[in-house]
Amino acid sequence: MKKIVLLSGAAISILSAAAYKLPEQSVNSMALSAAYVAHTTQADTAYFNPANMAFMGEKQYLDGALTLINLPSIEYYNIAKTKEENIVIPSLHYVAAPMGDFRWGVSVVVPGGLSKRWDEQPGKLFAQEFTLENVELNPVFSYKINDQFAIGGGLRVVYSSGVVKSDGRDGTPYPIARDMKGDTFEFGYNLALTYRPTEDINVGVTYRSNIDLEEEGQANLYLGSIGTQYDASVTVPLPAALNIAVSKTWDKTFTLEFGYERTFWSTYKQLDFQYSQPVTNPILKQAFDNPIPKHWKDTNTYKIGATMVMDKITVMMGFAIDETPIPDETLSFELPDSDAKVFSMGFRYQQTENLSWGAAFLYDAKEARSIAKGVSDNPVINANGASFSGGGAYLTTLGLSYEF
Amino acid sequence: MKTKFAYLLIAVSAFVLMGCGGADSLDQPAKEEVTGGEVVVDFSAETMRNILVSEKAIPADYNNSVFGYKAYKIPYETTDEEGNRIKVSGLMVVPTGVPAIMKQIGFSLVSDSHGTIFANAEAPTVIAETTNSPDGAPVILTALSGFVTLQADYIGFGDSVGHYHPYLLKSSSAATTVDFINAARAFAENNGIPLNGQLFVTGYSEGGHVAMAALQALENEGAPVAFAAPMAGPYMLDRMGQGVLAANTLPVPSFIADVAYAFAVRYGVNVNTLVKEPYASALPGLFDGSKTRPEIDAQLTHVTADLFTSDAISRLTALDNTYWFTQTLQLNSTAYWGPQTPTRLVQCMGDDVIPFAMSTGTASVMRDNFGAVDIGVIPVEVAITGDANTSLRLGHADCATPAYGVVSKIFADVRKATIGY
Repeated sequence: MKKIVLLSGAAISILSAAAYKLPEQSVNSMALSAAYVAHTTQADTAYFNPANMAFMGEKQYLDGALTLINLPSIEYYNIAKTKEENIVIPSLHYVAAPMGDFRWGVSVVVPGGLSKRWDEQPGKLFAQEFTLENVELNPVFSYKINDQFAIGGGLRVVYSSGVVKSDGRDGTPYPIARDMKGDTFEFGYNLALTYRPTEDINVGVTYRSNIDLEEEGQANLYLGSIGTQYDASVTVPLPAALNIAVSKTWDKTFTLEFGYERTFWSTYKQLDFQYSQPVTNPILKQAFDNPIPKHWKDTNTYKIGATMVMDKITVMMGFAIDETPIPDETLSFELPDSDAKVFSMGFRYQQTENLSWGAAFLYDAKEARSIAKGVSDNPVINANGASFSGGGAYLTTLGLSYEF
Repeated sequence: MKTKFAYLLIAVSAFVLMGCGGADSLDQPAKEEVTGGEVVVDFSAETMRNILVSEKAIPADYNNSVFGYKAYKIPYETTDEEGNRIKVSGLMVVPTGVPAIMKQIGFSLVSDSHGTIFANAEAPTVIAETTNSPDGAPVILTALSGFVTLQADYIGFGDSVGHYHPYLLKSSSAATTVDFINAARAFAENNGIPLNGQLFVTGYSEGGHVAMAALQALENEGAPVAFAAPMAGPYMLDRMGQGVLAANTLPVPSFIADVAYAFAVRYGVNVNTLVKEPYASALPGLFDGSKTRPEIDAQLTHVTADLFTSDAISRLTALDNTYWFTQTLQLNSTAYWGPQTPTRLVQCMGDDVIPFAMSTGTASVMRDNFGAVDIGVIPVEVAITGDANTSLRLGHADCATPAYGVVSKIFADVRKATIGY
């Protein structure tokens, strides 16, 4: 079987954005809490606002980073908790030299993902493992209309694989289990524009299209130890996102960027597993074949980032307020998400004329979340209510940038 | 040089994605290989305890053992009423997670014959194959009491669906049960399931009648039976038929209509001599295993005189011994012999389908007329309350679960006294 080459074994988890979308893909974006759309400076411009490539220098730009993600356990009451996760994710960006008013670039990133693993009941009954891994190849172009205005866009090629495991056969009166693996290639697009009314003000607008990830593979469904394999598929969205940002730079030294992101999670209405033949067992059908309502909501994220350029060192700080898209009714163990505040900081050091390196740290502080009895579609949460605490994320990024 | 680098980067990026092509395919679920059957249900002891607690069948602090539930569908052959060898099926439920001593000594068998069903979907092996879940009496007999439970599907259900069901016909009822006991014993030997040779016989409603027929066949073969406890069976079919047709209305017309249909087919008599049109013509379609009792009842009349011919009503209610239907009902009754096996007829005094007097009358006939050596009647309401004067009365359907509880305890006591656990 073929394996992911660069991202082998990366079990991507709930990251700094709500749900399973990951906006930070480089040292700069991590240090600025992704308030990095209007004012972008490195090769990661190709990903965060390809229109801005039009205003970069005449060189080629390369940017690579590795991010270590630590995901503390999420605790359900004092009964069960998820495994702590440590994951390494790479990112790679390139911007080619301009060809007249055109320019192209490419990024390889992990735009989102999820992994929740519960070893204890009742979490294990619903999400012994719920993993979604995404890798995106994003070739982009820009066109410089004039010195104030540029547009850009690109093609999104996303490879996604998913693992869904649930098991109630120990410690519950529901001796059901599911084991599913699937993967898919999907396509989308992204658009961008930049308007520079003055040399020190940038306005950036970007849009990344929704991509429905139709994971296709096999599913083993068990009742007790009796199992049957089905060809199966399930679709989850990688939602569309609109970013609007404005930046102001003072004395070519200090830049402040405000960003607003609207993520269109409302496309996620239900989780509906499809099987190659009818699931005739009435218990398994009810547990695993009936669509699971999601009814997620569109979310707003507000970001602010500050950049200070000092001789060879650039210092960056960021802050964001992030909403969860998941309503109380459909919150479950595979993704017990909550609203968050994001704090970040980082630096970049200009080692030589062509080479710089940097580091960034981001803390995603998730709020505890409680759900009253009687409001959830999840039978366990409906009967017992829920109190999820802990969680969040610590992300540390190291990266190199090279221009030539 | 710079251009080459750019192309290299694109190639690497593309390679990353191409390398992603294909998650590991999932292995097929492990399937236990057995000789002469297949595993259709397998719940651990912990799971069974959790389910029974959840369903409030046992209290959360239940101190006694709860065993796992592993069911096998076993195909076998038997002989139908016409003397043909046919392929049939049965369910064998084995306790798992048992103490070592039970494995060392081996399990006792309980042959449990199920009550009346009309839809093939209700047959023991079909339920097990469809739901992969425990169902019915084996939960009590196996999971709570540690017996290996045997349930034949009966002819007309399971692997023999399409064959008419020989409802209450004695010969094939006995053969189906006895042949399954033998098939299950062979299956156990071939698959390392330890048996101790001890056999108990029971069954509820139609199954009470079948159990009694099987007991007679086993005694005739000289096969030892440790104890028999048929429950709520219509052992005296002639008396049962007489009582049913004497009433102006039929609460559940499907029962007697199926008897008429099966007996007419078995004895080559035109069913129109028993059942009026338009019902007579509909009977083959009603009893082909595709319909449930409520569906069948809805297509029949509850008025006795509208469903049955006046000839059938008058001659059966008079117990006319020259009438073929009276004769064959007597022939297929299971009350007119004397079991040498210790036997208890278990039934609820409040039974609204089979009169409690059926059990007391049968016990008297067997003891007084046919020399049964150790026979008695156990009223379920008395057994579960411990009060001989209890006012509790349970109907036919509500009685089944407590009746199985009573029988299970009787069998367990006998096993304890004879086998040692």
